[in-house]
Amino acid sequence: MDILVYGIINSISLALVALGFALVYGISRLPNFAHGALYVVAGFLTWSLARAAGINYLLSMLCAMLLTGIMGAMIYRFLLIRVRGMAISEIIASYAMGLAILEGLRWWGFKGMTYTLPPFVEGSIMVLGVPVDYHRLLVVVIGAGVVLVLWLFTHQSRIGLALRGMAQDERAALMLGIDSDFMALLAMGFGSMLAALSAVLLLPLGNIVVEEGYNILILAIAVCIVGGLGSWMGAVLAAFLIGFAQIITVVYLGSHFQMVVAILAIIITLILKPSGLFGKQKELEERV
Amino acid sequence: MKLAKLLTVAFLTAVALFAFCFPATAASGKPIVLGCPLSTAFLYGWDAERGIKLAVEEINAAGGVDVGGQKRPFKVEVMDTRDLEPGVPVSEALLVVEKLILEKNADFIMGGPVRSEAALAAMDLLSKYKKVSIVTTGVLTPKYHARVGKNYDKYKYCFRITGEAKWMVGGEIIPCLLGIGKKFNLNRLFIMIQDVAHARAGGKIIAKIMAKKGWNVLGQEIYPTGTSDFSMGLLKARRKKAQVILIWMDMPQTSILLKQWYDLKIPALPFGSIISAAEQPGFWKATEGKGEYCLANVVNAGNAPCEATPWTMKFYNAYTKRWGIEPEGYGTSSSYMAPYVLKAAIERAGSLDPEAVIKALEQTDMMGVYGRIRFDPKTHQVIPSLYPKKGAVGTIFQWQAGKRVVVFPKSIAMGEIKLPPWMMK
Repeated sequence: MDILVYGIINSISLALVALGFALVYGISRLPNFAHGALYVVAGFLTWSLARAAGINYLLSMLCAMLLTGIMGAMIYRFLLIRVRGMAISEIIASYAMGLAILEGLRWWGFKGMTYTLPPFVEGSIMVLGVPVDYHRLLVVVIGAGVVLVLWLFTHQSRIGLALRGMAQDERAALMLGIDSDFMALLAMGFGSMLAALSAVLLLPLGNIVVEEGYNILILAIAVCIVGGLGSWMGAVLAAFLIGFAQIITVVYLGSHFQMVVAILAIIITLILKPSGLFGKQKELEERV
Repeated sequence: MKLAKLLTVAFLTAVALFAFCFPATAASGKPIVLGCPLSTAFLYGWDAERGIKLAVEEINAAGGVDVGGQKRPFKVEVMDTRDLEPGVPVSEALLVVEKLILEKNADFIMGGPVRSEAALAAMDLLSKYKKVSIVTTGVLTPKYHARVGKNYDKYKYCFRITGEAKWMVGGEIIPCLLGIGKKFNLNRLFIMIQDVAHARAGGKIIAKIMAKKGWNVLGQEIYPTGTSDFSMGLLKARRKKAQVILIWMDMPQTSILLKQWYDLKIPALPFGSIISAAEQPGFWKATEGKGEYCLANVVNAGNAPCEATPWTMKFYNAYTKRWGIEPEGYGTSSSYMAPYVLKAAIERAGSLDPEAVIKALEQTDMMGVYGRIRFDPKTHQVIPSLYPKKGAVGTIFQWQAGKRVVVFPKSIAMGEIKLPPWMMK
């Protein structure tokens, strides 16, 4: 039962972490390697507003998400737009930005274990005979809600349809009057807000440390590669695959191998099915 | 005009007389450079930096170091080794040690590298450049002093003024665990360790010894540096009905472990052989009190309030006043003592010559913050003891009602060990 309960929790946490990355890549074909840094920034922003400035916790989280979204959009507007279309340059530029943000935070003194966020609800409950804290249950509920809202947004709203149009065929979208750069900017903003949302949901379970930015990036990339770059529904499925694989590994092999699962998943996918489960880059497979 | 000249002469004479009669107390000679390779973004780096700087400020304010009749100040040069980061970047730490020696012209190396793997690798560099080094923080591996013992001529430059895993386990952790077992009738142990040299070695030895002592060792979980979710390991401990969880991790994420331990109400006492987050005074606030009852080993006395020697609380208060925070990690008091020990050795040697300083360091015998400080002349390891009058004494404390209460060894204990209420059922 441990595997089932914590497998679901871990999978939804992974999906939350990866959705932002998948959304940005799916729409604008931009691999946002600053994703982990934005996750950490959102954590520190929430901490600064809630703990240091004494602003209401919920309001702090909303402000942090908004500010992180704006930050992501600015990164696109002032940096990534200049290298758009040059895959390697996009990776280098976004990774460099992420590195600068994370190391900048460390340099400014955000180090140690004293940066923590309180859980939304204290206490724990037995689920199928397994103790689970209320906060994790909330993560599951909110995570599932986010996936649903995201689906509705991309299928029902005007902006969502425009974003999907961009994702399907950028040139055709341009002919229909959709501003490609503005949509990419929006995607980066939404993606960053999703990174922030996962941060405010997951960080109360731990503490805010700069190094977490690198872990989050690796996990997001692993989920997106396995799910298929560009497919956010693939990302959700991959999150479940990796999430359960991680928990099974911890139970039967040991915690030591937990991170290996994500890396191994990347390697296996690239060897067997480079485009991932639902990837749209078939040319990758043709090349292989 | 004449009056102006007269006044000028009188003023200059007065200045000269004043300078002659009241020479400056601060040292004015060429500084003795202490190169400190430390992982400054982590507790065991910044606590050591603060400890060394505090001691150096005090020494310099008192006139500096007497080198063959000339007073010279210490100068601290700190460089970030980053060796406590995930992935254990040893090469970067080695580069820093070399930079300190070649670019900063360090006369001595003090502090780190902090991670055992990096410190072991740095021994050859110290030998190559003939630089006397005193390790003051991190580096718990027994291999460090064992290498000095095995190849003295090559590694004689390496000293360690802080505790090491072998003594910590055999002399402190095992007796403390056995005491807990006897007092509360507990004998089921679950081990959670970090995937680094000293923790792996420590966990293995503890498991072996505790099994021999009749305890049930239920399992061992190894976590990569940087892990931020321990819930499955904790559930394993719960399923196996563990009564004590032995933790050996030096990463900040250990506060997450304790938060999760509390949230899941795991009925086992967390015993931190090394648990960096719980060592810090800010831990209580960071975990909102969820870390209460956690035991933590801070290796040397003086890193938590106690009366081990008359110097202990004097240091404790001076540190708190200087840095606005109490001593934090396990490398604090030892890092503070190192400049004092080196000063005494240089003064005995009368020069900065490495060979002379090594001999003088081997003769060290002073009552410090954490007891009597002496080095084993063959291995250059500080001699430990359970009694401050006999040697360097360690400290295990427990978080009780927001305070770090020293509970082991008995000679310096300030309180008794308690169990969390959900273990009493």
